[in-house]
Amino acid sequence: MQEGSIAVNEMVTVSCGALIVIGTILTIKESDPFRKLISLGIMIGGVMPFIVDRGLLDVAIAVALIAPLSTLFTLMICGRGEP
Amino acid sequence: MTPQEAAVMVCAAIAVYAAIRVALEPDTLRKLPFLNVLSFAITGVIALVLPHPLGIVAAAAYFVGSTLESNAIASTYAGGLDRRE
Repeated sequence: MQEGSIAVNEMVTVSCGALIVIGTILTIKESDPFRKLISLGIMIGGVMPFIVDRGLLDVAIAVALIAPLSTLFTLMICGRGEP
Repeated sequence: MTPQEAAVMVCAAIAVYAAIRVALEPDTLRKLPFLNVLSFAITGVIALVLPHPLGIVAAAAYFVGSTLESNAIASTYAGGLDRRE
């Protein structure tokens, strides 16, 4: 039971670490701002289970509500404007 | 391995697969459904990894926030409302 739990936690940790690495590399490499925002969404999705895993659920709720707001404010800047 | 741990493992595998599909997708608009899939998988991980009543609230908040984010990116990329007429 304990061994299985440790293995599962390690697999979730490795998966979310892979998500953070993929999101960071894509955010650096992409040139279009919309593609950068999508990659930033991947990175924030990888960060969230680490916050929850430590028991910081109030911080997780705050991050889950503030991160899309920052994306919305960035979208106001890089909107397409008049076609 | 309990069924809950198996569910967490499946959610983590789906998240990594969706991230790889987003990374390899050349079209920008086709990235967004896979971003939604990744958000659903992360929501499952958050809800299952810690058995606490507030964990459900955190999962619901992340679900609402990530869906709002990807829909905002999609509508802004598509040009928004047509106000020219």
